[in-house]
Amino acid sequence: MTAITDLPTRRGAQLTAGAKAALITVVVGAVCLALEGVAPWLVKWPAAWELPATQWVGAFLDWFLNLIKPAMRLFSDLMTHPMNWANFVLGKTPWPILIGIVTALGWYLGGLSMAALGFLGLSFVLASGYWAESMNTLALVAVSVPVALVIGGGIGILANEVPKVKTFVQAVLDIMQTVPTFAYLTPLLLLFGFGPVVGLIASAIYAAPPMARNVMLGLERVEPEIKEAAIMSGGTRFQQLFQVEIPAATTQIMVGVNQCLMAALSMVIIAAVIGGFNDIGWEVLLTMRKAQFGESLMAGLVIVVFAVVIDRMSGTLATERKRYDSRVVWAMLGFAVVFTAAFWAWLPNPTELTLLDPMAEAVDSGLTAFTQANGQWLDALKNNSLFYVLLPLRIGLDQAVLPFTWGFQWTSSMSYGLFAAGAGIALLMAWRGRLTGGLVVLILIGMLETGIANLPWPFVLTGAAALGWVAGGWRLAALCVGLLCTILVSGLWERALLSLYLSGAAVFTCALAGGLIGLASAVWQSVWNVVRPICDMLQTIPLFVFLIPVLMVFQIGEFSAFLAICAYAIVPMIRYTRHGLVNTPDEMMEAAISSGATEWQIMRDVRAPYAAPTILLGLNQTILYAFAMLVIAALIGTTGLGQSIYLALGQADVGLGISAGAAMAILALIADRIVQGFAEERRAALGL
Amino acid sequence: MPAIACRNLWQVFGPGADKALTDALSRSGNDADKAAAALREQGLIPAVQDANFEVQEGELFVIMGLSGSGKSTLIRCISQLLPGTGGEIRVDGENVIGASKKALTELRRKKLGMVFQHFGLFPHMTVAENVAYPLRVQGVGKKERLDRAQEVISLVGLEGREDSFPRQLSGGQRQRVGIARSLAVNPDIWFLDEPFSALDPLIRRQLQDEFLRIQATLKKSIVFITHDIQEALKLADRIAIMRDGKIVQIGTPTDIVLRPVDDYVREFSKDVAKGQHAKVASVMRSEAECGPDDPGLTTSMTLDAALAHCMELYEPVPVRDEAGNVVGTVHPSDLAAALQVDET
Repeated sequence: MTAITDLPTRRGAQLTAGAKAALITVVVGAVCLALEGVAPWLVKWPAAWELPATQWVGAFLDWFLNLIKPAMRLFSDLMTHPMNWANFVLGKTPWPILIGIVTALGWYLGGLSMAALGFLGLSFVLASGYWAESMNTLALVAVSVPVALVIGGGIGILANEVPKVKTFVQAVLDIMQTVPTFAYLTPLLLLFGFGPVVGLIASAIYAAPPMARNVMLGLERVEPEIKEAAIMSGGTRFQQLFQVEIPAATTQIMVGVNQCLMAALSMVIIAAVIGGFNDIGWEVLLTMRKAQFGESLMAGLVIVVFAVVIDRMSGTLATERKRYDSRVVWAMLGFAVVFTAAFWAWLPNPTELTLLDPMAEAVDSGLTAFTQANGQWLDALKNNSLFYVLLPLRIGLDQAVLPFTWGFQWTSSMSYGLFAAGAGIALLMAWRGRLTGGLVVLILIGMLETGIANLPWPFVLTGAAALGWVAGGWRLAALCVGLLCTILVSGLWERALLSLYLSGAAVFTCALAGGLIGLASAVWQSVWNVVRPICDMLQTIPLFVFLIPVLMVFQIGEFSAFLAICAYAIVPMIRYTRHGLVNTPDEMMEAAISSGATEWQIMRDVRAPYAAPTILLGLNQTILYAFAMLVIAALIGTTGLGQSIYLALGQADVGLGISAGAAMAILALIADRIVQGFAEERRAALGL
Repeated sequence: MPAIACRNLWQVFGPGADKALTDALSRSGNDADKAAAALREQGLIPAVQDANFEVQEGELFVIMGLSGSGKSTLIRCISQLLPGTGGEIRVDGENVIGASKKALTELRRKKLGMVFQHFGLFPHMTVAENVAYPLRVQGVGKKERLDRAQEVISLVGLEGREDSFPRQLSGGQRQRVGIARSLAVNPDIWFLDEPFSALDPLIRRQLQDEFLRIQATLKKSIVFITHDIQEALKLADRIAIMRDGKIVQIGTPTDIVLRPVDDYVREFSKDVAKGQHAKVASVMRSEAECGPDDPGLTTSMTLDAALAHCMELYEPVPVRDEAGNVVGTVHPSDLAAALQVDET
């Protein structure tokens, strides 16, 4: 009884975990701000305290890479052979025969629609005049994919057979997922020198994990009774695995093959930034640098065509396939051979084909006309977003508000006013019983005033620890702090905050816009009918290609990078939001309807809470996507870690490349774990 | 020699189960209940506790229990899909616990067959390939194994579906494939893990009847798992009833219905029409005095059938065996009394 009467006076006892965490964060932030004048080291980590970690990492890696260099060089020499063969075969085969083969393959895999897709796709490539470059790219993919399939498949099977290996493999795969693509390239550059082999090996390394993941998943999901039936039939372990479990897991494994192909293609194109090989990715980069956007777009479209053809065709492997008449396959191949023989003398050289050049020129001139005609509002859009949103987020209102842009100068009394308003809102919300919400509002206002790039480091550490603690307990909090401290002492902190700011802004935008689009798609089927193909398309396009259109319209700069990141990262948010909202169990819906709830009440009270874990997973994916794109976007002007990784690649600075890559992976990992923690907590609360 | 003999069989799940079981048994002085309680306290799961039973050659032995009672775990111990934590299992006199992988594979190839609740068919193989698979792993030639597959496919009445894939079959047909596959190597011992539970009631009865027909000709030693008391009573020579990992009663269908050892078993038999399962022999007396009427009762008649014959009679009547000799008497009032459903 006393406990109950005591409660109102002892307010501390009723604080929820979230409120406690928020309160501590607020206090730490306030102390840092108050002491800024007295102890500047509280805000900015002093350079004197930094360890030369990048140099250490560099020195160690130099030593290590030199150690394994002979073996690796041997490997690369070995790989040169199949690559040369593939180049030779794809380069020398007359184009009608290749088109015939792809069309026939399309028919075999998916009937008429796939055959048409293959035929039209390759015809477009031929007409674009990028045939030779495309074949070079394809040759790289053709060699790297089998390597990735064998490595990934082998790892997947091994992990399935040896439970101890499994945990380890899973952890490594998780980490590999967060390491940015460019970071792979720098050490490979050191090992193999410039040239196509780097792209080949990078894409093999990058494409193996999805295969391994799907093989593990597929084998795990084989019905236990099927496994038992294989045992009871008296099969040896080898027989069980290869005669029963792997064939039974085919569908999932084929999903892995599809993802492996797409990853390899994406990486081969990204690897073009190191140059040295006349492939289609290089073509995009070259034309982009020369601001020939029409041609750049054309080359980009060639990549998209390849991506779509490869994705859709290999996608049919993972579905239940009908058998298509194999006579048609032979007829198609026969026709291609006959056609080639008959018109041998008249076959145009594909590199001289310029059928689509007028189109590229038209795009160029059209674009010029468009930017000239709409320059004003495009500039206005860009500048307004920069000055009123991105810049304040980055350096804070106190520095971003200038007479030149905002029309007045920010004064310290305005800061006090803002904080007072924040405190007022927090108090009001606390009085209404929503203490945590109020504190979070106060924190957000403080962050807006200071700017993400200028946040005091104790505040960031405390904030991350608080989030980690609420999402996953002490262990997660400790993990967050420990990992962030390595960034802090390694001298990459400022760059990390810059990356955090840009990806944070993009993730926030994606969460808002993607959430709304997902909601609309869930409510109106017609919206989804439009949104769905766009999502499919955005997910098929290799990262690199996203840069072209934003660059065309908005030129190099942070805003273009921001748009490219958003375009890529918004898709999972849309998909998961819709999926979560649509998949509310029928019984729950019926119960809500029969209780007399309106459409929107059902959405708010039933569907949204039920979808929360799924939506959080979407947010998680969006964060990972944003980090992945952040590095690629460094090509068109971002600051922060992405830029460092890109610069390191240019200077072959392994220490910086790997450290910055690791810092990026750490940020992604922390975000991933915290959001997963929240999702897990929601799922547990719903009993799922 | 029994086909299968289990002695003090334990299956405990959880980390360090082997040692925990040895410790718990030695501390409790081999008292199974105390040991089980001790294991539970450590967070381990004693899924099968101290199981003891024998299955004779040609006997149809049914293990019955609710879900979570450990019956599936028990059959997986015997078939060595689970290792077994303690005790021994003798199959044809040889202890299979701790047997080498090679020996187990050999045993499965020659002597064991198993049917699964959800069929466990290989989705990428046709019916014929599924059925022939146990022969394929032994290296039997293609023609020979497909010929044998054809035989068992005919036995289960699936002629004409040899080249279908499992996904093209109905549930009942799928389980016929499962049954055919388990019989492909002509095993002596046949495990069936809730083979008919996933089927519609009508198909279930049909398959039960066919199963009995097949068993009548093949005379396998069978361990049959079910959660359905009706099915157990219909099929079994003997029934073992499991509860929370323990076997609480082993007996003939009549024993289970008329002489349940505790309330748990009584609860099962409550809904059962006893008259359809208990035989006249179970209420027969040996004294020879009887009335003038002879309605022609035999020992193997069900109580229902017997009662139908003596509706109008009030004095003891003679009971004959299969050969027609009078072996005892039964009082019509005893027949009626035995049919009464327990009130508790």
